[in-house]
Amino acid sequence: MIIDVTVNGVQRHLKSRSGDRLVDMLRKELRLSSLNADCLQGRCGKCLVFMDGRIVHSCLIPAFKARGGTILTFEEIAKNPEVNDIEKAFHATHTQPCPFCHTAKTMVIFDLLSRVPLPSEEDIVEALDMVSCPCGDPIGLIQTVKLAAELRNKRKFNREA
Amino acid sequence: MILAQDLPTYSLSTCFKEGIPVFASEQISYRGEALGLILGPDPGSCDELAASARVDCDEEEPEREWESFSSSQIVFHYSAEYGDLDAKFDAASIELKEVYRNGIFDHHYSEPVGALAQWEASKLSVHCATQWPDDLRRHLADVLTVPESDIVVYPTEMGRTLDGKLWYPSLVAAQAAAAAKISGKPVRILYTREEDFLHTTKQARSAVSIRSGSDDQGRLLALDIVILINIGAYNPLASELIYQAVSAITGIYSCPAIRIEAYAIRSNTIPLGAMGSIGATHAFFAIEAHMNNLAQRYAKHPAEIKALNMLKKGQSVFGAPGLSNDIPFARIHRELEQISDYPRKYASYELVKKRDPGCREGIVRGIALTLGYQTGRSFSLQSGGNVYSVEVTLDRDLRLRIKTQAAIGSEPLKTMWRKTAAEILSIQEDHIDFLLPENTHSLPSGPMTLSRGSSLIHALIEKTCRSIQKKRFRESLPISAKARTRPLKTQAVPENLFPGAQLFDSVSWCGTAVEVEIDTLTGIPIPLAVWMVIDAGKIVNQQTALASLRASALSALALCTANDFDPLEAGRKDYMADSGLRMLQLPRIEIEFIEPDRNTAARGIGELPFITIPAAFYSALTQALGLDPRQLPLKGGEILRLLEGS
Repeated sequence: MIIDVTVNGVQRHLKSRSGDRLVDMLRKELRLSSLNADCLQGRCGKCLVFMDGRIVHSCLIPAFKARGGTILTFEEIAKNPEVNDIEKAFHATHTQPCPFCHTAKTMVIFDLLSRVPLPSEEDIVEALDMVSCPCGDPIGLIQTVKLAAELRNKRKFNREA
Repeated sequence: MILAQDLPTYSLSTCFKEGIPVFASEQISYRGEALGLILGPDPGSCDELAASARVDCDEEEPEREWESFSSSQIVFHYSAEYGDLDAKFDAASIELKEVYRNGIFDHHYSEPVGALAQWEASKLSVHCATQWPDDLRRHLADVLTVPESDIVVYPTEMGRTLDGKLWYPSLVAAQAAAAAKISGKPVRILYTREEDFLHTTKQARSAVSIRSGSDDQGRLLALDIVILINIGAYNPLASELIYQAVSAITGIYSCPAIRIEAYAIRSNTIPLGAMGSIGATHAFFAIEAHMNNLAQRYAKHPAEIKALNMLKKGQSVFGAPGLSNDIPFARIHRELEQISDYPRKYASYELVKKRDPGCREGIVRGIALTLGYQTGRSFSLQSGGNVYSVEVTLDRDLRLRIKTQAAIGSEPLKTMWRKTAAEILSIQEDHIDFLLPENTHSLPSGPMTLSRGSSLIHALIEKTCRSIQKKRFRESLPISAKARTRPLKTQAVPENLFPGAQLFDSVSWCGTAVEVEIDTLTGIPIPLAVWMVIDAGKIVNQQTALASLRASALSALALCTANDFDPLEAGRKDYMADSGLRMLQLPRIEIEFIEPDRNTAARGIGELPFITIPAAFYSALTQALGLDPRQLPLKGGEILRLLEGS
């Protein structure tokens, strides 16, 4: 079947089979390398995309559910200046994620900070629970998010967190 | 389709007599072993072809039993004896014999294994996530009968490998390279997470039997130890596993008479490898659990029994050179007690247990302390296993190129090295690039295993950068400087010393406390907090060290709380269920370093959580349960049954 969907701002007509997951379709048809179909159980987070504004595990979404929807992947999100803040925070706190989960962690933090500019520790832990990768130091990651929020607020509103 | 008979050589040369087959031919040794490769233009076509393939084979009874093994199953055997064992056992007031078992663990490293191989005329290039490019190149040369100089290995940037990428990538790369040669096209093999989980290496299963004889005070007089390590169908690091386990089995304790028999046993399960802390985890868990048992037998506090038996300055085991300094037990213990509130918690949990032995009401908690160590020693990981090299070049545009085999290391480590180099040379950090040496085949290098080597590489980078800084304003750019480590030789090894003897050279000491609570509904043990006090000389970058230790601590805890991997029953559903602790379940982790700024050589620390946490976790679990299950991990159901039984 053909699925009409807007991916990263471009209207697409993507081929899909009935049992395909959204992640399979995006990887196969558009060769989006930021996505990984790893655990296929919505746990590892390496397939995170924004679907109609909400962050979702694309391995848990049937491809046909995306019909008429809007998908944003890391390729598009990376153009935002917020991602620079997150990168700087990763660097400053020595918590750079591995290449395998880098995009996933960035997406989760990006989503959290766009919803909650000054997240509490509970907010951060809940958000980061979407990604599971043994590469990083989770306690360091909490500091990363706090610093990223600080950098973002400083840049956006010229004020400290 | 490519099968074993299409290859010039059938197997990777290893410590096994017959080697490890690249493809199974006459016999399939485990479920998931590769029989051949089906090549196609894309994964979909390969799936269709595979669906139409048929495999005819005769079924034989698989060899799964390993605790009572036959002589044909022994891959590596080691035995050593020191002192008059029989006489010491005769003199002992209390004899205690227990068997401690470790299950199969999956470390859940970041990315599944894979390789991409491409031939250009007679030159082969291989992209592969490997911790040991040198080993990979050697095996490829062997299997394909081509000179090593014609093979270029590009290790891909990796996540945390947890030692899961030591030798298995060599096998996958050999399959891809052979297929690329035969088909004349580039070949990529990439395991799905499920395939990787079900069919690649896991941490070996072990059973350690300890019989101890001790005097009326609880002082050890004799230890009779049998270590069995089930290595599955293949494990080229079987001897290393055994040596590491043997060298760690006496822990930090002194004993005048010891006999050790250690066996690496083969069975028809997936290859069970040498993961984080390579064998030492099994040994530390066993000896610490035994010391706790001993303490119970004498009705003493575990710390009392441990302090009584601890090695003192000048003492050693197996006639190795004596300890040059006392083990900093008292200091580490004191600091740990302070930060963890151990004495109060231990006493109150003991009281709760006495009042409610069946744990039918109230809190089921336990807390335990353990002391362990990490050395930089490897016994058989190829000659040159401890040799690292660095070549640094400062170019005219003030870009710094650092060539080292550690370029495959993790990004936080590289950030730390960048910072050091940038500070010495006053250049920008983003002007520093890490590259692999082009001709790595000229330098035999060992595997990059966890944190082993990172402190050495740091020292080399510091040295070479300082050397460039000295010449910088006297000579024209570019300026290069090289340095390499010498194989570790800090103490003379006596000729008659058995190979697995612990020399306590370049030792990092670590005390760990773990607090555990048991969910009374499910029986699942929940780690509440981990405290670590580390004496590892100079800590080059505390932030990086803390980040690395916290990540390792969580991986080590995940090993204690995961289910035992069952090679016959495991399926995809089991993967994520055991893939580590979720953010929402994170325990508190506190780490302190003892004098991290003192001017001593930096030592490895990355394996300390794998060595000490399982032992401490188990001891805390036994306190919580008031029982000694003598195995790890324990499923919730098993714990509930134990509680019911009590």
